[in-house]
Amino acid sequence: MSLWVDQYRPKTLSDLHYHEGLSDRLRSLASSGDFPHMLFYGPSGAGKKTRIACTLRELFGKGVEKLKIDQRVFMTPSRRKLDVNIVQSNFHIEITPSEVGMYDRVVIQEILKEIAQTQQVDINARHRFKVVIINEADTLSRDAQAALRRTMEKYMSNMRIILCANSTSKLIAPIKSRCLLMRVAAPSEDEIVKALQFVASKQPFRSIEDEVARDIARDSNGNLRKAILVFEALKMQTPDLTGPLTIAKPDWETYCHKVADMILQEQSPQRVMEVRSKLYELLTHCIPPTVILKTITDRLVSQVDESLRADIIHWAALYEVRLRIGNKKIFHLEAWVVKVMALYKHFFFGIDMDGFD
Amino acid sequence: MESFGEPTLLMPTSLSLGDTSMEIDKPTSLLSGMEDAVSEQDSGFGSADPTLLGDMPSAPISKPAPMSEDSGFGRPTLLEDSLLGDTPSVQSPKPKSTLEDSGFGRPTLLEDSFQPMDLLPTNTTASSSRGPSPTPTQSESTFSEFGRPTLLEEPSQTDSTQSQGPFAFRILDVSVSYRGLLNSELPDVADIFRSHKSTANSNVSGPRPVAIQRSMVKATTFDGKTVYFRKKPKHIESTPRAAPSRPEKVGTLLSTPIHRLMESLSRDTAARLNISDSLPQASTSTAETENTLWVDRYRPQRFIELVGDDRVHREVMAWVKEWDWCVFGNRKGKKRSREDDNLDEWKRPKEKILLISGPPGLGKTTLAHVVATHAGYGVFEINASDSRSAQIVDERIRPALESGSMIGSKKPTLLVIDEIDGATGGTDTSGGFIHKLVQLIQEKPRRKGRKEPKTTLPILRPIICICNDLYASSLAKLRPHARIIRMSRPNDIHVIKRLRTICDDEGMKVESRALSTLVGMAQGDMRGCLNTLQMIKSKCKDVTENMVRKATAGMKEGDTSQISILNDLFTPLSKKRLKELGLTEEQEARYVGRLSRTIESSGAMDRIAIGCFEHYTNLRRHDGNFSRYLKANEWLSSYDLMSGEMRTEREYSALQYLSYMLVPFYPLFQERGGPRVERPKVDWEHFTQTKTNEEIYSTLAKGLRNAATRLGGDYRHFASDNLLHLEFAPFINRIISPPLRPVNSQVIKPEEKILLTRLVDIMVSLELRFVLEKTEEGQNMFRLEPPVDVFVTYDGKRAADIAVSRFAVRQLVANEIDAKWINQQAVEMTTANGKSKNSFFGHNSGRNGDQVIGDGKLMPNNKDLAPPPNKRARKEEDMVDKVPTDFFGRPILNAGSSTKPASKKTPTVKPYRVSYKFNEGNSAAVRKPVKVSAFL
Repeated sequence: MSLWVDQYRPKTLSDLHYHEGLSDRLRSLASSGDFPHMLFYGPSGAGKKTRIACTLRELFGKGVEKLKIDQRVFMTPSRRKLDVNIVQSNFHIEITPSEVGMYDRVVIQEILKEIAQTQQVDINARHRFKVVIINEADTLSRDAQAALRRTMEKYMSNMRIILCANSTSKLIAPIKSRCLLMRVAAPSEDEIVKALQFVASKQPFRSIEDEVARDIARDSNGNLRKAILVFEALKMQTPDLTGPLTIAKPDWETYCHKVADMILQEQSPQRVMEVRSKLYELLTHCIPPTVILKTITDRLVSQVDESLRADIIHWAALYEVRLRIGNKKIFHLEAWVVKVMALYKHFFFGIDMDGFD
Repeated sequence: MESFGEPTLLMPTSLSLGDTSMEIDKPTSLLSGMEDAVSEQDSGFGSADPTLLGDMPSAPISKPAPMSEDSGFGRPTLLEDSLLGDTPSVQSPKPKSTLEDSGFGRPTLLEDSFQPMDLLPTNTTASSSRGPSPTPTQSESTFSEFGRPTLLEEPSQTDSTQSQGPFAFRILDVSVSYRGLLNSELPDVADIFRSHKSTANSNVSGPRPVAIQRSMVKATTFDGKTVYFRKKPKHIESTPRAAPSRPEKVGTLLSTPIHRLMESLSRDTAARLNISDSLPQASTSTAETENTLWVDRYRPQRFIELVGDDRVHREVMAWVKEWDWCVFGNRKGKKRSREDDNLDEWKRPKEKILLISGPPGLGKTTLAHVVATHAGYGVFEINASDSRSAQIVDERIRPALESGSMIGSKKPTLLVIDEIDGATGGTDTSGGFIHKLVQLIQEKPRRKGRKEPKTTLPILRPIICICNDLYASSLAKLRPHARIIRMSRPNDIHVIKRLRTICDDEGMKVESRALSTLVGMAQGDMRGCLNTLQMIKSKCKDVTENMVRKATAGMKEGDTSQISILNDLFTPLSKKRLKELGLTEEQEARYVGRLSRTIESSGAMDRIAIGCFEHYTNLRRHDGNFSRYLKANEWLSSYDLMSGEMRTEREYSALQYLSYMLVPFYPLFQERGGPRVERPKVDWEHFTQTKTNEEIYSTLAKGLRNAATRLGGDYRHFASDNLLHLEFAPFINRIISPPLRPVNSQVIKPEEKILLTRLVDIMVSLELRFVLEKTEEGQNMFRLEPPVDVFVTYDGKRAADIAVSRFAVRQLVANEIDAKWINQQAVEMTTANGKSKNSFFGHNSGRNGDQVIGDGKLMPNNKDLAPPPNKRARKEEDMVDKVPTDFFGRPILNAGSSTKPASKKTPTVKPYRVSYKFNEGNSAAVRKPVKVSAFL
């Protein structure tokens, strides 16, 4: 049994609830017979993968929905074995090279060559090419991206590539220039509400109160997937959707907010220790440190005086860079916390801040 | 003579080379028959000639060696290679080794009286008296006597004689002595003998350099080659006694009865033994004093000489003594009643191992050895220089402990395992050295089982282990089984006193201040002190404080345990330590070099950094504006960035600068009397916890992928890391904890029923389930497996908005899940059989929910879809049969209510006959009459 997110995922371009303009373009592209490489990008939960799936369906018909999922083993040059999960149909193949980290190049090379060198055997297929979907393209290593660029030109006759990324900033320019860029913006609140109502309409209870839907939409921050997950959680927890409803937040987020509050409440060595243990707790739950930093910063910025905001953001940015470069995340997180505490204290007590730069 | 055995040519050699008394022996016993004997020998010699004298020159030489040893007379007189100087063809290294091998240990020699110059004439006379042949050697003369062809006659033999030179001479000895004895009237022989007996010096004639130890006897062979014999000094020592009697006897030849001779022989031997016993020691002690380390020279030999805490020494001794009963048997006269309590059935103390720990140089090894010898054991030591793997326990330790007395001395063995903390293998592997050792001592003697007598032998000897770091991880398993004794720094006064006596012995003048400085610098390390003193002595006799300071520069600078380094970083040097190091204030103030060196020496800078990180917030010093914290964090950040960069770029030359990043903690945070630095552990806990959680995530991700495979790719997007951690994990926990009431699934309300069904469906598809477990208090509880609820548990508390599910609810859900699983597996089995349906079904099932929520049951749908070829239909039918019987006769697995719609639907669709078969004995379930209609 699938979750609602999957269950009510639109299957065709015409089913999509928002970004009609984009859908039209995709439809005409698919029907034109001349399909380019594409790069879908946009924030998480905006519907990139859904749109890709719909486009595929538009291209090849119902056949793309017959999915086969299996694991392939690749061998690195250093004889290490890599397991990669591959989702494929007769017309396309979907891979997530970032699963294997720094060895993504191997996967890219092997799979692309394999696909590119085999022609479509299905006589009834509407197009001669197969489509390769590469998820999380922005986490591809430089090597992997370089491996991609020549293949994209060379095997154009047999293969189209659809990249899916959160942002284009990490993709090298040659790749970007070979693709048709498709930005999928996050849905607006209204659009999310619409989508939620659609989901509700499919349920026995038929409808969702507008108020609740709006709450969920606001909380989801433009992430439709999250919105629907929250909705389902809400429905499971309070089946009749009545009474005082609390929109569930992810626990780590709540926890980060708590940490932010702690930082503002008191600035002392003891508090530094307490915050540290909280940070450890978050890291233990595999919450990425940059996410922690971001969430706490957001919360802090919303709480502090205007004049401090710029400073906090500035230092957060600086420490985020260090986080990414460094190894011991906790050092940098704590360094940032101490920095914020110092800033706040100086601001609060009106102490001259000349000693700091 | 034959009794001496082998007729090889060397036999005579050994005889001839035998002690003088031996020589006397023969004549007395055999006198007239002697000639026969001699001739026989000689003939034996002669017969062996060809081999001996063959063209292989080395053969003759190498042979005599073993022979002389074999001879009962054991006085392996022998030729040294030097003897053979002129006949290189015969030279071989062998003789030398034999010399050393000889029981009497002293190079001996052919009597010096036989000087080469004399030799020839003497021989001639001697031989001439017996036969006409003017052969230079007696052996040859004997040959001739027996009518053998003499060497002279056969050139080929002459050759061989040449190569046989040394033997010839040896034989000559014999013959000469015989001749001497036989023809005592001959003045020249007597002279020779006498001169030999008197002193070596008197024998000096010719160019031979005379030395007591290594006098050479020069001889010229028949063909004019010069040969040197080495003299055996011991012989000289023994001579004074024999000398007076012998010359007299020379005259009579048979005056002394054999038993007297034997007596005197044994006396001689005894005397010689004594000498040889005492001599080497005397000589070595004088010779070695200059070469040995003081540490070895002044190592305590006796219990009372040990320096340090007497109580510790006595404790060790007491433990060893506890073994007495087991090892030596019950010694009477000692009160044991109290100790008996501790002894096991084999009279062993409770702890079979003694573990001595302490910093280096305090004398742990010495203590173990001294105590062992003192208590009457022979020590068998295994240390870091031996390989210490698990096999060693079986191969060496066990035999040593079990049969030690058979190998060497009569003393029982005491095993000393030195430096055990460096033992390989660790404890985790079952094959590790420590593990094996523990096994060894734990072995319970099984008296009944006679089948394997080898394994039943318990260890009946004490084992002493020595380590530096008592808490080394490799020792974790050993500690509970060992009596632990810690050696600590002995009182400085004792150490100084001992050092002083040693210095006096060595004739050094020492300031007492210098000594106390030394001891302070070394922190009680005796070995270090002695080595330093010895080094100083090599330069001059007087020891001043200054010299000590110079000599000890750098000594013990790094006490490299992390804790102490951290302590150094966070606390200034103590007054005492300052004094010990002799630093002025100014020097103390220059901390950078000192600390960076210490940090670098630790070898584990990352852990020091973590230690700093964990400790700095503990300090009490007021830091109002966080300025110091900011700086400290800045340094930590730079440290991390730099070390990270260094590793990624593989620029390990930057390593030397890394330590400077941590030094600033000293000026920032140093304070006296601050809280002690504790072993950093938070970070490690965090690390292990993270690993556990990652494991759970990966299990969950695997479940998601499997679900995607089953449901046509539905869950697959969640399997990527970030989504899983940030979105899926928190919400799935809420989705699977609906507010259910614990009621019987039969009487559940319809809306709750829908909830339950959906919950079960989701959990089954994600491979989540509740597992029954017993808590420590013995309570039953259902645990989520994989435990994804940890992701909503922060600080040990579950998120507030997630209802705590009660036991009964979980039980209900667990039952439903189990039923569902069985169902699903059955479906999968059928679909696997009919492959054509696979994708069809797989594809459809994901979408089924569209129609009726809660009716996610796969089976009825499947039936709907199946265009029934007969065979397959029956299979499905069987399955339908199976499911209910599995489930305690309850008609349908999911629940009573949900079956109703299904049962309404199915009859209309089903085109096939229902068959029902009960297989006797095939089911463990309760047998219960059920109407066929229940299945329709």
